[in-house]
Order: sequence, then structure tokens, then C-alpha cells
Amino acid sequence: MNESKHSLIIDDDLDDQEIFLMCVKKISADISCRTANNGEEAIIMLESQKEYVPDYIFLDVNMPKMNGIECLKILKKMERLKETKIFMYSTTAESSVVKQIKALGAEDFIIKPVETIVLREKLAKIFGITWVTNGQVNKS
Amino acid sequence: MNEKPVILGDFKNTNDLYSRMVAEIQDYAIILMDKEGIIRNWNKGAQKIKQYTSDEIIGKHFSIFYLPEDLAVNMPQQLINEASLNGRSTQEGWRKRKDGSRFWGSITITALHDDDNCIIGFSKVTRDLTAKKIDEDKLRISEERYHRMIAEVQDYAIILLSPNGIIENWNIGAQNIKGYSANEVIGKRFDLFYTEEDRKNKLPDSLLDEARYKGKATQEGWRLRKNGSKFWGTIVITALHGKDGQLIGFSKVTRDLTEKKIADEKLLSYTAELEIQNSELEQFAYVASHDLQEPLRKIQTFAELIQENYTDEAFVKSYFKKLDKSAKRLSELVKSLLEYSRLSKDKNIDEYNSGVGEVDLNNIITEVKLDFELLIEEKDAIIKCAHLPTITGSAIQLGQLFSNLISNSLKFSNTKPIIEISWAIVNKNQIPNAPSALSEGKYFQISFEDNGIGFEQKYDKKIFSLFQRLHGKQDYAGTGIGLSLCKKIVENHAGTINVLSSLGHGATFDVYLPSN
Repeated sequence: MNESKHSLIIDDDLDDQEIFLMCVKKISADISCRTANNGEEAIIMLESQKEYVPDYIFLDVNMPKMNGIECLKILKKMERLKETKIFMYSTTAESSVVKQIKALGAEDFIIKPVETIVLREKLAKIFGITWVTNGQVNKS
Repeated sequence: MNEKPVILGDFKNTNDLYSRMVAEIQDYAIILMDKEGIIRNWNKGAQKIKQYTSDEIIGKHFSIFYLPEDLAVNMPQQLINEASLNGRSTQEGWRKRKDGSRFWGSITITALHDDDNCIIGFSKVTRDLTAKKIDEDKLRISEERYHRMIAEVQDYAIILLSPNGIIENWNIGAQNIKGYSANEVIGKRFDLFYTEEDRKNKLPDSLLDEARYKGKATQEGWRLRKNGSKFWGTIVITALHGKDGQLIGFSKVTRDLTEKKIADEKLLSYTAELEIQNSELEQFAYVASHDLQEPLRKIQTFAELIQENYTDEAFVKSYFKKLDKSAKRLSELVKSLLEYSRLSKDKNIDEYNSGVGEVDLNNIITEVKLDFELLIEEKDAIIKCAHLPTITGSAIQLGQLFSNLISNSLKFSNTKPIIEISWAIVNKNQIPNAPSALSEGKYFQISFEDNGIGFEQKYDKKIFSLFQRLHGKQDYAGTGIGLSLCKKIVENHAGTINVLSSLGHGATFDVYLPSN
């Protein structure tokens, strides 16, 4: 029922990438997920692979060199990402940062949660899918 | 001896009348004396002023009215001599009445001549000006006291200016505050207390104009003393007017408020510093909580995942390892944060830190090399070091500084690390991007040059910020505090730190520390 969706996660923290991928896999096998280790790497990837248009981008705020906010500004300028929903995420949410990223065109701010179930629920809602866990049907 | 008939003889009617007039005058003592000064005639006024009757006084010498001190200098004879010579003599002074009391007499002695122009006697007219004298004395004393008061006021410079700003009077306060003595400055224009810039802007003239039109002018500003030093003066110039309303000059009262001004400025700079510290603290609290939460969150997440997958042995093993790594990282962060905050607390090393003294940097290098012995061996690193100077500072902090810089060079290297430490003496103006707060003078430039991975020069500021890292955590270990610590240490020592680098071509950290 769901056509295949593409998501891209940009995070310098390999543990967080892994947790994120784990959560995505658990809620749907139909969502492909690619990773980039920092903003520069993501931009090089997107610029060199013109046919690649992710539906969702999850962008860490604090990264070495180019941080998430600088990266967001560049991504928003890319014509073919016009339909792409970009979410920023980080360990803590500072209200001024949340305000700034929304003004820059990000969909929302996600706090990296302690419990993976919280992240899974959040992602399911974003992807608009229903998934099953512990025998319960979760609806978005 | 009896010459009375010579003078009074040959009366005519008019003369008789004239004599009566003189005799009856009450406000002036009019006395006729012979050429020796013996009293021959005496009017009512004389009796009233000097209390003697005619009978008592006629035949006596007029020196009877004079005080012993005047007699000692032979004043009566001198007055007679002068009148003989010039026709008349005048004098004012204290005289004695019959009862011994005194009066202030104003006298005129006039010589009388016969037809052959020979002196035949003298008239002496005396007026009692005691009341006037007392009033005048009172006024004079009061004026004198007033002038003394102004002259001796120490804390205010009180200056009298002419209508065009020439200094006419000068008190001790003015001398204290401005350093000039009265005779150095009277006759000069008051412009000389103003700075060159104020003079260029015609401030002295515009203040006089303001006082001229509004009655007074007030101002605060830096003024010049005689020795060229400056003081913060607050001044009031008031226009002075004569009875007809004509401007006759200005009074200028100046107070030296330098100490207050300096205290005010200190307060302002303390406040500004406090504000900076506050915002630094806020920033610190934010990044600290963020960076501490990150490993903490991971520990919790890993624990949850282990619990969910406890039957999967491989998974549990792998995630325990991750959990342990995060815990170690958390502990490392807490430790270096503690180090950093201790450093901030001991900011004023001059005041608090008992560990401040002469530090031989060669000893520091030896200690740091010892600390990194294993790593140096493992990486086959070479540390070349010139003979370094001895500087004033905190041995502990300088040890941390050297340790952090050398460990960075060892860490951010993919080949055999070569680290070169050299030094030079430079002037402040030779320091690139020197912060404006840096004092003038000479600095030790201590350079740490490596052949490591380097970085793009555009990150030269960012790398000194707290928790800013240029590399993913998986590539190079570290907390992102090391270089912030270095910056803080250098700032604690009233110095600065710069870095030159390009990607793949090593980095050179230049530490500048005051050389005196």
C-alpha cells in the first residue's frame, strides 16, 4: 500500500545513525534509508547523484565543521529538494534554535529520545504509516 | 612768648564775625598754633573732639594729642616741618583724648604766613572719623577674610577671569588641582587647562559665551595639569556683573573628580565584564548540558535495547561495549569540564593563584614528554624543542597548555608526527589579530608546529570554542574542550593564541605570553 519512500539521515554520530536506522527498519521495510556522516558529505552526495531525491531528510544540529543549520540553508536552496521534508534533530532543543530552523523552512524539530519506542512512534507519524509492535496495532 | 596780640590784633567787624564762626564750629577741631606748635586758639569742635577746655589747652604743645608710638617717631614735628615746606600737611591716625581714649583723626595742618612770607604759625583742622574708620575696618577685615577664605580653599580651584578669559586671581585649590602657582598663571588665558582637542573645538570660548548669555555654564571633562597629566574636572563658570549690569568678568570653580570618574569607569567595566561572564556562563551551561546529555541518553537507549534483545547474545555483547564506551565518554567529559571550570574560577591568577611564579618552560616540556612517553613511542613521534625561556605564570596551567597542544599534534596525525617547538620575542603590533584588550609591549611567541592532518584556515576561530570539533567522534577521540582550555589559560596569562593551518599540511599554534 505504501510506495517506497527514501530517507536520508545526516549525523556525525555513528551510534545515533545506527539507532535511527534500527527504528526505521522496525516500522517499515518500504522505507529506504541512506546515511551521511556530516553536512559536507551529504551535500556532495546530493550534488553528485542528481537522480537521488529523498522524501525525508533528518539532519543533526551539532556536527563538526558545517553544522546542521548551515547545511539546512544549503539544502533549502536545492531546487529538486522542494518537496523534501527536512527535520532537524538533536539531544537538546533550545527554543531559539527551534525557532530559527522553522524560519529556515525545516518541518519540525525532533529531540533524540532516550527510549527508541518514542522515536519509532514519531517516525511512523512522519511517514504516515501503521505498524505493529508487541502484538499491538499502532496507528498514526 | 606771648604772641597772641600779633595774630589777633587789629580786629575788624568781619574778622570778628569770622572768628566767632570758627569758634562755634562743632564738627571740626580748628586750632591755631604758633610756629613752634604751641596751641594759641581752640574752638568748640576741638573741645568736643579732644575734651580739653580752652583754658586747659592753650599754651600747650599740640603733641599732647599724639600717641607714644607717634611721638617716638617725632610725628608732630614732622607734620609741622612738612607744612612749613609745602604749605600744608595731612595725616590720618589714632589720637588721644583728654581722658586717654582714642579717636581716629583726619588732620590738615596749614602754614600761616605774614606779608613777608614768613611763617607765623599754623592752623590745624582735625576731623573725628572714628565711626567711619571702624566701619571701614570692619568692611576691610570682612573683605580680607573673604579673600583669604577663597584663597585658602583647597578642594576647589576658584579663579577670577577677565571678560575675555584672562586669569586674574588664583587660589590654593587651583594650585593644588592644576599645579601652577599664581605668578605662573595670572595674566594667561584659561585655555591652557584644556586639551588640544577641546581647544581645537573652541570649548573654552563657547563656555564663556554660554556664561555670558545664560549667566553660567557647567561642564565636565578631562583637563590638563601643568605637568601634562589629565584630571577629570567639573566646572562652573559664572558671569560677574558690575552695578550697571556690565559684564566685569567670570568666576570659574573647578573640582577634581578624577577619582570618582575612575571609580565610575571601573564600575562600568566591571559591569561589562560581569555581563560577558554571565553570557559565557549561560553558553557554558547550555553546551555542557547538551554534551553531557548525549552520552547519558545513549547509555539509557543502549540499556533499553539490551533489555529488549537480551536473548540475542551477539547483540547484547556489542551493545554492552557501546554502553561502556558512552559511560567512559561521559566520565571524560565531566572530568575535563571540571578542569575547565576550575580554570575559569582562577581567572585572576595574580590575585588568587599561589602557584604563580617563575616557570622554566624547559621543565614543562620535559614533564609533558614523560606523560606522553608511550604515545610518542607508539607513534614514533619526534619532538624538537629549542631551549625555551623562563616566564612568570602558573606552572600547573602552563603544563596543561603545553600538554594539550602537544597531545593534539600527536592525535591529529596519520603519519609519523614531527613536532617543532620554537620561540621568539615580538612586539604587540607583530601579533596577528591581537585582541584590543592586549597590553602594549613585548611578548614571547612560542610556536608549536606539526606535520599533522591540519584543517582549513576558516575554522581558526571555531576550534577554540567550547565543544567545537572538526572531526567525527569516531575518527578522532576527544571532548572538544582541549583548545578552549588552551585559550583560557593563555588569556589568564594576559596573552593570546593563534593558529595557522591548511588541510593536510599540519598546523602551527602560536602562543603569545607577556615577556615582562
